[in-house]
Amino acid sequence: MKKIKTPAELKSLRKSIVDKTDSSKTGILICKSTGCSAFGADSIVEGFKNEIRKKGLVEKVEVKITGCHGFCERGPILVIQPKGIFYQRCKPEDIAEIVSKTLIKGEVIERLLYVDPVTGKRIIYEKDVPFYNRQKRLVFEHSGKIDPTNIEDYMAVGGYSALAKVLSGMKPEQVIDEVKKAGLRGRGGAGFPTGIKWETARKQPDETKYIVCNADEGDPGAYMDRSIMESNPHSVIEGMIIGAYAIGATEGWMYVRNEYPLAVTYTTKAIEQAKDMGFLGHDIFGSGFSFDIKIAKGAGAFVCGEETSLIASIEGKRGMPKQRPPFPAQKGLFGKPTNINNVETWATVPIIIEKGSQWYADIGTKTSKGTKIFSLVGKVQNTGLVEVPMGTTLNEVVFDIGGGAPKGKKVKAVQTGGPSGGCIPRNLFNLPVDYESLTQAGAIMGSGGMIVMDENTCMVDIARYFTNFLQNESCGKCVTCREGTQRMYEILTDITEGNGKEENIGLLKELGLVVKDASMCGLGQTAANPVLATLRYFQNEYDEHIKYKKCSAATCKEIISSPCQHTCPIDTEAQLYISLIAAGRFKDAVDVIKKDNPISATLARVCNHPCEGKCRAGDSAEPIGIRDLKRFATDYGLKNKLHLKVKASAKNNLGKVAIVGSGPAGLTCGFYLSLKGYQVTIFEKSDVVGGMLALAIPSYRLPRNILAADIEYIKSSGVEIKTNTQIGKDISIDDLLKQGYKAVFIATGTHKSARLDLNGEEAEGVLPAMKVLHHINTGKKINIGKKVGVIGGGNSAVDAARVALRSGTAEEVTIFYRRTISEMPAFKEEIKAALEEGVKIELLTAPVKLLTGNSKLSGCEFIRMELGEMDASGRRKPVPVKNSEFTVKLDTLVVAVGEQADSSVAGKTAGVEVSKSGTIIANPETLQTNHKRVFAGGDIVTGPSTVVEAVAAGKIAAQSINQLLKDQDIKREYKVTRPSAYLEPTVLTEADLADVQRPQPAELPVNKRKDNFNEVEQVLSEVMAIKEARRCLRCDLETKDGKKFMDDMKQSKKEKGEVVCQK
Amino acid sequence: MPKVTIDGIRFDAEKGWTILEVANFLGLKIPTLCYNEGLSAWGGCRLCVVEIGPVGRTKLVSSCTYPVEEGLVVKTASKRVIAARKMALELLIAQCPTSKTLQDMASKMGLKEVRFKPKWEKCIYCGLCVRMCEEQMMAKAIGFVNRGNKLKINTPFDKASDECRRCGGCMYICPACTSRCEGPGAKDVLCGRCENSLQPTCMELNDSYNCWMGLKGDCGTCVTVNKKTN
Repeated sequence: MKKIKTPAELKSLRKSIVDKTDSSKTGILICKSTGCSAFGADSIVEGFKNEIRKKGLVEKVEVKITGCHGFCERGPILVIQPKGIFYQRCKPEDIAEIVSKTLIKGEVIERLLYVDPVTGKRIIYEKDVPFYNRQKRLVFEHSGKIDPTNIEDYMAVGGYSALAKVLSGMKPEQVIDEVKKAGLRGRGGAGFPTGIKWETARKQPDETKYIVCNADEGDPGAYMDRSIMESNPHSVIEGMIIGAYAIGATEGWMYVRNEYPLAVTYTTKAIEQAKDMGFLGHDIFGSGFSFDIKIAKGAGAFVCGEETSLIASIEGKRGMPKQRPPFPAQKGLFGKPTNINNVETWATVPIIIEKGSQWYADIGTKTSKGTKIFSLVGKVQNTGLVEVPMGTTLNEVVFDIGGGAPKGKKVKAVQTGGPSGGCIPRNLFNLPVDYESLTQAGAIMGSGGMIVMDENTCMVDIARYFTNFLQNESCGKCVTCREGTQRMYEILTDITEGNGKEENIGLLKELGLVVKDASMCGLGQTAANPVLATLRYFQNEYDEHIKYKKCSAATCKEIISSPCQHTCPIDTEAQLYISLIAAGRFKDAVDVIKKDNPISATLARVCNHPCEGKCRAGDSAEPIGIRDLKRFATDYGLKNKLHLKVKASAKNNLGKVAIVGSGPAGLTCGFYLSLKGYQVTIFEKSDVVGGMLALAIPSYRLPRNILAADIEYIKSSGVEIKTNTQIGKDISIDDLLKQGYKAVFIATGTHKSARLDLNGEEAEGVLPAMKVLHHINTGKKINIGKKVGVIGGGNSAVDAARVALRSGTAEEVTIFYRRTISEMPAFKEEIKAALEEGVKIELLTAPVKLLTGNSKLSGCEFIRMELGEMDASGRRKPVPVKNSEFTVKLDTLVVAVGEQADSSVAGKTAGVEVSKSGTIIANPETLQTNHKRVFAGGDIVTGPSTVVEAVAAGKIAAQSINQLLKDQDIKREYKVTRPSAYLEPTVLTEADLADVQRPQPAELPVNKRKDNFNEVEQVLSEVMAIKEARRCLRCDLETKDGKKFMDDMKQSKKEKGEVVCQK
Repeated sequence: MPKVTIDGIRFDAEKGWTILEVANFLGLKIPTLCYNEGLSAWGGCRLCVVEIGPVGRTKLVSSCTYPVEEGLVVKTASKRVIAARKMALELLIAQCPTSKTLQDMASKMGLKEVRFKPKWEKCIYCGLCVRMCEEQMMAKAIGFVNRGNKLKINTPFDKASDECRRCGGCMYICPACTSRCEGPGAKDVLCGRCENSLQPTCMELNDSYNCWMGLKGDCGTCVTVNKKTN
């Protein structure tokens, strides 16, 4: 190969390469970077070559391997030129079809196209994929388009012309000046101005100088540098040559971590090809400047990403840092002036020279210029590499480009900068991504790793994970770093295992600050960041773990045992009754359920199952159908008349207790206090017992005979229920106390519908949702017209809509909601059922005017909304679209925009305080109000919430009242979660594992639901229930206690000579 | 001749001196552990840290390794420095409570409690033995092995060494191999027998020890008796 000696020769060679290329020839670009190779790209490349040869298309079709395209979630990726057709998730089985359909016939294969989840449309061309067209790809411009092992590809797109420009007339000082003016800052993490670094090195009088490319990239989750080296290694080489010229260096080193074999292979080849072309070696471009690059491989130490340790490593010494000054620019590798820069920094240099410093400086913010590449990983839909201008907000990166978290989970935070960085909570996501704002927020830009975390990520566990990484990677020189990381890890482990103490937080902060302050190198100085950053934004999670032995993300095994039991507000041992069902022991399952749940048959139908939201089986498949299984067991119990009553306890003489409200909170409190021997009376305002259960939840969801059975069970404890008695009106709480009740529990719920506050709301036909539901559920008459509208998006709105459909008079029922369907607070299952039954839902619509005639509703004027800026809660605020008003004719409008508390029950009782929103204020742990003998719980305290939370409040109130009446301290005790018994796990056969689908319970067909309130959802069959129960992963066996049970069991089986299961 | 300011004292230092050497020359006491005049500076114990830099942008560096430069401003005993030294010492004692050298330093510094679980290790990885063996005894028989929480000091591949001449230099210089007053069986984490319960008052009013004689709380002139022993 003839060496290129002048810029003119380069230009003509480029022209000849470009002329040689037939741009109308079909080409298949196949990504063969590490990610896609792991998905089998190698066999896809081979497969295509074979198929094309077989079909005799070798002259017509070119198979080209490329580097990383960036949309790694969708690999293996291939792009068909010249049109740019984008195929994703390709398999070797697709090759024949791609060749025959797309290459030969020019047809597009639908199933291989990317579907935009927002619009639902299939995207054909790469340039239209939203993941790409929202980025600004400068450094990545040619990645995925050129063959990294062919220097001609790089030259064809303009490669090495920046070098030619530099070596044919620019002085080194001019090059440095350009880089300074461009404002390029080191992309390795610290963001030091590159031009100034080069200038310092240039000023050193030494004849021998070195430049180094830091390709150690140790941060877990970061792979930008690897991708650059696998996709466009020449861009890095060209940058290094230019930098060497500017500084006056004679030799260059690339320090690549040993775990990047593909990057090493491609870069080695690229260096060879560059040498062959004359871009490396003696007298480059005839300028008199000589330069060569060697590759040094790391040996697996994160600390060697730090520059003084890196230098020691290249010198063959132990990777331990040295004090600076002297800086490497003064005295570095082998004692000579050395300039070290990151891969991305080097790759940016040719762009700056080519396009000019002003062009580059126009991109980005005032202090952070240009673009930055981020590896977006973790709980995000579109995992991959993202290049955006500095100043782009985190919202745009995580949501617009990343698509948010999968499975509809809420994003909680991002971690930037790897283990040396910090987390940024969601409410700061409108921060622009640049060096200064990230540092101010307590994080760092770092090398670009961006790990997305969702509601199921425990921030204490994250701090522990990163601190563990750092304690392993610390070189060990500094006491503060070596011992400090070990002690921080020790404390964090204690906290995540349920052994945390309150002093731990203060000690972590004090220790963290010294580790940060007094360590010698960057690793130690940032080693406390995971702890300090999570403490800054998520101290509540630490407090929860320490004080309440609670992990809301349901991650810390030693605290939670199984996520279902831990998350359940009433501590139901879901994993235990599930394993009993799996073993066919249905009666025992009923016992376990009823032990913690006094209204189990009801909750088996209406609970919002927070347990399923944390079920580990839901991580990679569907969560276990825990509520469906509970229903199976409770239905079995009712059918076989198990546990229909309890044995009433002998009465103690510690006093009588009054409960106001016969909803789930009141019933539960009454039940447990009666079992303890107290004389309990529940006062109920209406004529039916059950609160929301009887008045609001329709009977097609909760059949009244089921509710009645649960109420009978509760009554059998001896509790007395007085209906038609309204406390606060007929009798006050003070009266009750005067009458001799030793304690009062207020559990009246929230039954008042909030108003729209529009003129005409008093007109006939405008109905509050609660009124509609109360009337219909208790058999009272209420006028539902023909054209019904429902305003709202919660459960009351959906319940009201489905109830209106069944009224017999409604012809059309439409729900109007101001946001999008994914933001509707109603249970997903309810929305699905409503749509099936024919309810229409108008989204992004808000009412502006009620139209009436003769005090009767005739219609409503609505305005369209669109999603605007993101507010602090991370939701886009809906804003009205100007001039988009439209009118809908309605004769009935149900207002379901929320329920409010009616605190008139408290009356003037001293000490019972009411908040601004009308709820009663009670101690969140003990439920005691400021009046010693008055307690309050459920919706009346929290605002509208769920049934199971109300039951939990009832249990807590019973405990507190019991302590009060026994003259004990009223306080809660917190323990880690453990099951009351362990069961041997089931052994799944191969056949079982092949068929692990979650069963859907049968439903009443839609056409049979119209004029009745018959129960819609049916129970699972016995066969399906057992099958589903066997799918449980038995998380309770993963704690130390659980493992001990398994060991003991295996041991006793061995002794008995039985077969031991494999788990 | 770089001009430096150390604890308010303006001094014309020799080029190539470290901050520690300047302080020792001037009689300002800075505690050290892994430093020895006859061996190369290591900077690992972090006990000799001092605060340098312009007001508002200061940082802590180990004085034994930092070469003086023109215009350097140093504070050898500010609040930040004392907090760092105390924590470093607390970590060291939690590692190796059996060392008299460490216990004496703790008494002097007024360290009152050790809040970490004692590990009862025999080595604090100060590296003095490694440097002694390599630089003074010219044997280089031992060195650091592994890193982080698996760090240890040993011969290559744990094999008996041909280079080791059994000179005992490593044992001589080791600060962990110094027996406590109560003997090798002492079980308490913090000895505290000769604890300095007197605390100088200047730290309550200022950011730094004010002692113009450089005695930094040792002479007890400006003290109040510590409330604990009252």
